[in-house]
Amino acid sequence: MPRWISNEPGEEAALLGALGLSSVDELFSDVPKKARIGRLGVGAGREEADVVHEVDRMLDRNRPLSKFANFLGGRIACRYAPAVVDSILSRSEFYTAYTPYQPEASQGMLRALFEFQSLWVELTGLDVANASLYDGATAAAEALLFSRRLHEGHRFLIPASLPWEEKSVLQNYASGPGLTVEEVPFDDRTGLLDLDFVRRAVATKDVFGLLADVPNGFGHLDEGVFELKSILGDVPLVVVADPLSLTVLEPPGNYGADVVVGDGQGFGIPPAFGGPYVGLFACRKEHARMAPGRIVGASLDSEGRRAYALTLQTREQHIRRSRATSNICTNESLMALAFVVYASAVGPKGLAALQASLAEKARTLASGLGSVEGLRAPRFDAPYLSEFTVELRQGDVTGFLDRLRRRKILGGHSLADPRPGAPSSPARILVAASEAVGEKEIQRYVTAARAAAASGGSA
Amino acid sequence: MTFRQARWDEPSVWDIGPSTEPGEVPTIAGLPERFRRKQGLRWPELTELELVRHYTRLSQMNFGIDTSTYPLGSCTMKYNPKVSELLARRPGAADLHPYQPEATVQGALELIYRLERVLAKVTGLSEVSLQPAAGAHGEYAALLMVRAHFRDRGELDRRTEVLLPDTAHGTNPASASMAGFTTREIPSKDGCVDVTALKAAVSDRTACFMLTNPNTAGLFESDILEIAETVHGAGGMLYYDGANLNAILGITHPGRMGFDVAHLNLHKTFATPHGGGGPGAGVLAAGEALAPYLPVPRVVKRGRRFHLDYDRPKSIGKIRTAYGSFGLDLRAYAFAISHGEEGLKQVARRAVLNSNYTAARLGKLLPRPFRPLVKHEFVLSGAPLKERGFKTLDLAKRLLDEGVHAPTVYFPALVEESLMVELPETESKRDLDRFIEAFERALADSPENIRTAPHSLSVSRIDEVRAAREPLLSWKDLRAAAPKG
Repeated sequence: MPRWISNEPGEEAALLGALGLSSVDELFSDVPKKARIGRLGVGAGREEADVVHEVDRMLDRNRPLSKFANFLGGRIACRYAPAVVDSILSRSEFYTAYTPYQPEASQGMLRALFEFQSLWVELTGLDVANASLYDGATAAAEALLFSRRLHEGHRFLIPASLPWEEKSVLQNYASGPGLTVEEVPFDDRTGLLDLDFVRRAVATKDVFGLLADVPNGFGHLDEGVFELKSILGDVPLVVVADPLSLTVLEPPGNYGADVVVGDGQGFGIPPAFGGPYVGLFACRKEHARMAPGRIVGASLDSEGRRAYALTLQTREQHIRRSRATSNICTNESLMALAFVVYASAVGPKGLAALQASLAEKARTLASGLGSVEGLRAPRFDAPYLSEFTVELRQGDVTGFLDRLRRRKILGGHSLADPRPGAPSSPARILVAASEAVGEKEIQRYVTAARAAAASGGSA
Repeated sequence: MTFRQARWDEPSVWDIGPSTEPGEVPTIAGLPERFRRKQGLRWPELTELELVRHYTRLSQMNFGIDTSTYPLGSCTMKYNPKVSELLARRPGAADLHPYQPEATVQGALELIYRLERVLAKVTGLSEVSLQPAAGAHGEYAALLMVRAHFRDRGELDRRTEVLLPDTAHGTNPASASMAGFTTREIPSKDGCVDVTALKAAVSDRTACFMLTNPNTAGLFESDILEIAETVHGAGGMLYYDGANLNAILGITHPGRMGFDVAHLNLHKTFATPHGGGGPGAGVLAAGEALAPYLPVPRVVKRGRRFHLDYDRPKSIGKIRTAYGSFGLDLRAYAFAISHGEEGLKQVARRAVLNSNYTAARLGKLLPRPFRPLVKHEFVLSGAPLKERGFKTLDLAKRLLDEGVHAPTVYFPALVEESLMVELPETESKRDLDRFIEAFERALADSPENIRTAPHSLSVSRIDEVRAAREPLLSWKDLRAAAPKG
């Protein structure tokens, strides 16, 4: 049994004695007999070495990404994090703290969060960032609700190309207040948004917001985003952005975005089979009081020195309760710290150079896969950075990816909604370039894809 | 008073180096010119050592469980075992992509499956989803499940009301309202749900009653079985807010108490670190009626293999990307199997003993509004402090000077000038006595010293009104506010 609870002889008796009691059982006399349970049936406790052994036994059954030539992406990046990031995250003054309700005792985390907010402001070209949300998908969902606070209407427009998981999360957040999420179709050749559809929808006066993702769910950049604000007018424009791409791309605030959200996972946070990640949210200053989540502000202490505290708290659930802008309480502070430490460790020039190098690799990969009979790569005729979509002319995605996996290649992931009953979709795969792949891995992928596509066709 | 926090005169990260002028943006083949950033990102270029010193110094100006007793009520700030940190960093855990083929992540799926089984036993509810990212997120997901359930029964148009006690955490009404319900508060009587008032309030409009037990006053709702009968009698669902589960581990569970669905905060009861405000994990457990509506995918075992099962036609779908925060699931699993049957029960027993002991001692200094027997936490009223010329807030700040964190203050709202104190099982008697002595010393200080506290931290009392009135929310705001020249 671990030594996480004191079992010093006589200690429990001393505590009970001070209460005039002889048994801990007496402290549970308020739990009615009919509500008591017997044993949980969870087994006996274990020593630390046994626990490590047991967990390692399971983890050894996993095959980590490093064992493969890995081309997985889809807004969850496989990116190297310099050791300094985890070293700082391991400072237990940070990781064992609670939400900084007592700012004087928590300046360290508050200042790190203020730096995090500032970085997202610089990347997006907007004015105000919050101190984090859960992940990219929930940040988009909060942006939907935020848009509704800025504008009347019932319909929220999203690209039909958005990843199915994000669509489902958005639908779930829209369903509470009775709002509708509507898909904007895309051009079959380019994958880009149908702007005429947007124009017609906005003309109904029932649209309260539009979400555009840059890059989009297919990995491509849609030049149509530069026209969106003039089409939308005062209807809020939500942009879902990839943080690394923003080191080389025009900040969405400059082309009319009212909200920019995203997932900060690629900055110092391992993919870790799904989390924890960090949701990013920025908006314009005039809308700060309608934003969701915690916000850190700068103030002064009683001696006139710069000091930081959570602020604009009257928006929040612990004060406004049922009228709060969001229910969020715990967010992702430690992951926000990872985000800002990563960016500072790599530096602005290093980040832009990294994005440029990934774009270069993606182009090499695309041209290689494009030469494979049976594949359309890239499937869409539009610019891209680190990711793009491949379509199989015949055969199924699972079989194709399985054949690659047997050659130790993770060739990307299927874009299809896996739920039975979901509308059937073309055999599309999202493929991403990462630092860990070079010429050799790209060549291996192309060669294996040629074989896999050929055997898929003959099956 | 011997405590002094580090007080580094540390600049913000952008003020460390000489210049943060934006650089050039590299050319990227195929990128249309209008997409290209005109100016590079404005952010500093620092050496690794400069960076390490910066964040190390910041960390030294932060309380954590590892530095201080942290008696925040309803937050369960217990020791976060180091072994969990070690395991979460294994490549077999960190270096896994959620979209890897199932065959390559059998161990991760097994761990999720096993943790779900443990949590099902701890909650007495048959099915578990690890997907929600925090307590409030779990609440929201559960309320969507309640909606879907009543939609299937054709009762959604009628069942529009969520009932909550006036002691509820703020997230409960906020989640209910986001999920499209109206909320109605049930008054408390002596700190617990007034069952007569509840009986008068339930009707065929009731969708759900949200309750935490023990409640935020630290009291066990002894009428729980009658409460469950009342809510179910009206056709409503009973929701368990698991923020306070620590007090009842192995003693009772939501299933036995009659709850239909529960969220658990792994970052409270199961000792995953709170990270200075997250990450959390607000896993959901559901009984028969609501289990079909849990988010997808569910992890299932067929033969010896584990699978992600998306074939749940009634599921609400996704509430976030992927399957939950695996890094936290793994830590929680290590915590649970380390303790095992007896250990988990001892968690609750010792947490409740710590709380009652401290309550009895501090109850001699400040009034306790409700019955003396409490569970994992207790409430004090700072109302009498006013006669000495200071308030609960001032006392909280003065406590920080002792090197201990302050309790939760001004919550629950039904107690005037309240302090909500929770001392989890990992605090020894020596720790408790030190905290009590710190409390005594703080109270015995001069009103002037208390009103102007803290004196020993990296900053003195912060002007929070100014922060809200003249918001400076980023470096961009600071640049704009700085005198030109």
